[in-house]
Formats: sequence, structure tokens, C-alpha cells
Amino acid sequence: MPAHGIPQLKRSFKIEARDFLRAGEVSLQVQRTLKNIGFDEELVRRVAICAYEAEMNVVLHGGNGVLTLTIHSGNIDLHVVDDGPGIENIELALKEGYSTATPEQREMGFGAGMGLPNIKKNADSLEVESGKGAGTHLKVMLKVTKNGGDMSV
Amino acid sequence: MSDVSSRTGPVHYVEVDDALCTGCVLCMKVCPTKAIRVKAGKARLEGVCIDCVECVRACPEGAMKALTHEDFTLEESSNFTVSASTVIYSQFGENVLPNDILLGLKRMGFKYVHDQSYTSEMFSFALGLHLRESRKIPDSPFPLISPVCPVVVRLIVHRFPSLFKNILPLATPREIVAREAKRRLREKYGTPSEEIQVLHVTPCPSKMISIIEPLSQTRSYLDRTIGINRIYEPLNRSIQEVDEDRVLHYSSGVGLGWGMPGGEIAGLEMNCLAISGLQETILYLEKIEMGLLQDIDYLELRTCPEGCLGGPFTVADKYLAKNHLQKLIQIFGTKTRVKYDYIIKLYKKGWFFADRKPDRLVKKPSQRQINQRIGRLNRVDQILKTLPRMECGICGSPDCRTFAEDVVDGKARMEDCLLLHERTGK
Repeated sequence: MPAHGIPQLKRSFKIEARDFLRAGEVSLQVQRTLKNIGFDEELVRRVAICAYEAEMNVVLHGGNGVLTLTIHSGNIDLHVVDDGPGIENIELALKEGYSTATPEQREMGFGAGMGLPNIKKNADSLEVESGKGAGTHLKVMLKVTKNGGDMSV
Repeated sequence: MSDVSSRTGPVHYVEVDDALCTGCVLCMKVCPTKAIRVKAGKARLEGVCIDCVECVRACPEGAMKALTHEDFTLEESSNFTVSASTVIYSQFGENVLPNDILLGLKRMGFKYVHDQSYTSEMFSFALGLHLRESRKIPDSPFPLISPVCPVVVRLIVHRFPSLFKNILPLATPREIVAREAKRRLREKYGTPSEEIQVLHVTPCPSKMISIIEPLSQTRSYLDRTIGINRIYEPLNRSIQEVDEDRVLHYSSGVGLGWGMPGGEIAGLEMNCLAISGLQETILYLEKIEMGLLQDIDYLELRTCPEGCLGGPFTVADKYLAKNHLQKLIQIFGTKTRVKYDYIIKLYKKGWFFADRKPDRLVKKPSQRQINQRIGRLNRVDQILKTLPRMECGICGSPDCRTFAEDVVDGKARMEDCLLLHERTGK
């Protein structure tokens, strides 16, 4: 991971497993926070989609979890920790189309196997710490380039 | 009602009648842009108003009033071409057919009467064409968003400017009717455009605002508006007295159902969603902004409950009105009556397109501004931690977070939080 500047803002949000009624709410909060600050809309969209995929992973597969958004001077971090069953084979989980979703979840429109791959696609770096029965810790990082605002002023 | 067209300064589309306002928190709580505060026992408008009239609906005292420019009087009818929202066909019960209503309008003395349902039917067909064409163009924004509800357009401009490019570039049926009425009179009788006045009979005040201040189009072809509720009684009398049998209505059920949720997208084969209600509309705009729903082609968004049938200027109960429309659709059928080849020709000529304003450039904040805003958010979070979080609104701000923001911005004082005051004795 690249060196981080001083954290400028930190917000944590609880995610509840199987709570389909409120699923997506945390990523909306992340989006609202970053939009409110005035970050570049494309960057906000990328962070929000990472948050959304991570949140849905916790809702679908994980135990209860916490998403922490940290804004540094040069990058935005999303850390998502849950106490669920963990991922047995991380390499496989990062492949497009691989999913352990149940038939019921697939009927709900989930389980396309695009969650982690989509985070990888949108983030500047992704680290997954997990193991069977060990919960999951996602570390997602996105760089704030000059698009985050006009650096010249 | 007051006249909004003569007002200057920041535009608000509602006003508070201080004599009736009791200083409760109901209007402030429902405002989607958090534009209302209660100061010294009276509601005050401070932020951006999108004309959704949720506060008008919420106020039990009738103290919130929609500002309009309803200076139209029926004595002026003979100078006007009239075109009514298709919602009007749902307002007179199942025994009154669209043609009766159009003849009733004619009998009231209007110079010309135009039916909007046929144009709506043409629009629906052109919409399908446009969606298919747009899918062929790489990187074109999806889903496209209906331009019909002015409150949705206003929401996008003020709260979701990055979605301005998603607004469908076609002109709305009400604008096409007015534009074509003027063009025909000009070409047929040589009447100068400025002498032709088109009156729109509307279920909501936001149509008036979209004439005075069109946000996505460079201009409006409509000139004046009148609420359905204001024309209802004389029109009802006139309908009873109709004694001619000319045909003024040509549409099928496709055009007639336009006022109800799903009416705009009825009959389209594409992936379209119809969403009504303000909170749902905002939620879906947030989802689109996040990049979700790109596999959806089109969103019909209406901020009123039950769509335009729930507009504040309607007379009939919105669910009864829907029932009447459903019966009309059964009578007139769901097979469109427009001529496909003709519409395709018109579409290719650009007939359906609006005189669009260029995409809005959102001014990017500087790094210093971003740092300042992060600092502000930190202070807001700190204050928020100390607040009781009862979300009561007694301080005069709509919720605890907004109160904390107001304190940081110097618009409120910590002492305004009575619960905190009571707890700490400070």
C-alpha cells in the first residue's frame, strides 16, 4: 500500500447480514459524504460502486460488518471488516463469474460473481484478508488525483 | 394566490402565510432539499426550492401556499388556444369521454382546442425509436430520464447535476402541442407567433414554473397555465351543454393513460421503469449517479404520489381517477393509432427534439475548498456526537445533522437545542 497522508475524515457504518431492506444504504451514505465534499463525480462513482459491492458481499455472504471510510490527502480508503464464514479460496473469488451465492439469492438477482472483480476494476488497489471461518477484511484504496479538485489553487 | 413572475431575487415557489403558520415542524421535516427553517415561530424558506409542494401537502393549517402566475381569467378565452394535460380525461367520471371534454372546452369560448393525448402517443413511439438509436451509440448515458415532470428536472439541476446528460433530449408532449399549434396558425393564417397564446390546463403548479424558468430547454412554447381545479366547474357546466358532435379526440388508450404511473412507458418493448413519489425518485437518482441501473433504458419519474393524477391542482380522488383512466383504456384499446412511417420520418427530421440548453458544466471545487469542506464535515461530526439525536426539529432545523451544519455555518447556536440545554443545564 502506498504511504498515507494524515487522515482527514473518518466515518464508520454498520452493515447487517441478510438485511435486504436496508442493503445499499451504507454505500449511499458513502456517496453522499464524498459528493457533499465536492470530489470529482467519476471518483465518487468509483468509490460508491466499490462500497456497494463490498456492502452487498457482507449482506449476502458475511456476518455483521463495519465499513470504514477514511479520506486522506491523496487517497480514499474503504475498509470493510465482517465476522462471517470467510472466503476459502481468495484467488477464485476474484475471478469474474465465480460465486457461492445460493439459488435463492440468485433468484433475487445477486450472485453474478462480479462483486470482488468489480471492486478490483474500479479501485486503485484491493487487498483481501480472509480464510475459512476467519471473517473477511477488505482493504480498498482509490487515489485522489488532480481530478479530485483543481490542485492549482 | 400570488404572482411568481414578477418576483426578483432567489426564486422560491411556495410562500408562508405568517397569519396561519403555527411554527410547527411539519413542512420543514418533509422538505427534500432541507430548504425550510422555523425561526421565531414561523417557517422560513432559506435554501433551494424545487417546487415539489410537499410542504403544501404537509401543512395542516394551509399556511404554505404554492406561488403561481394564475392571472388568467375565462373572459380572455377567445384570445387563447387551449391544450389540457391528459390528466383532465380522468377527472369527470366514466360517463364523460375525452371528446366531450374537448368539445366542452371549445364551448367555453377558446379559439382553438388541442388534444394532448394523440401527441403523447406519438411521443411514446418516438421515445422507443430514440432509445433504440441511443443504444447503438457507444458511451451514451443510460438510463435516460423522462423530461416530463418539471420537479424531476429541477431536482437534477440542483442536486444531481451530473445526471443532466441523462435527461431525454426530446420535447415533452405539452411543448410539442404548443409549438405545433403556433406553427400551424402561422403557416395557415400568417398569424405572427407573438399573437398566438397557448394556455395549458395543468394538474400541478410546477408546469407554470417550467414556463417562466425552463431549466432543460432554452424556451417554452406555452404562454399561460390554469389549474384543473380552477377550470373544473365552468368546464363541467359546459360539458353538459355540448350540442355538437365534431371529433377532436383521436388517440387510443396509449395516449389517454399518460397521466398515471407507467403511462408514459406503456407499450414500449425496452427495459423501462416507472417510479412515482418524491422519496423514491430521489433514491433512484442516487442509484443512477452511483452507476447502477445502466441496463435500464428509461425511467419515467414523477414526484407526486400516483404520478400526475396526484397533482395538487387535480379535483378527482387520484385512485378513482386512475380507475376512470383504466376504463377509458379498455374502451379505446391499447393498440397505438399513430402512423409508424410518419413518426419515423418526423423523428429523423428532428421534429421531436427539444431546443436543449447545453449540458451544464459543474464547477469543480479547488483543493483548498475540498479541504475546507472536509474540515467543516469533521466539525459537524463532532457537534453531532454531542447532540441528543432525537431528530425533533424544535431547534428550528429539520434534523440533528442539519442543525450541526447550521451551527458550523453560523446560522444556528448550540443553545437552540432545547433538549441539550435541558440535559446539561447550559
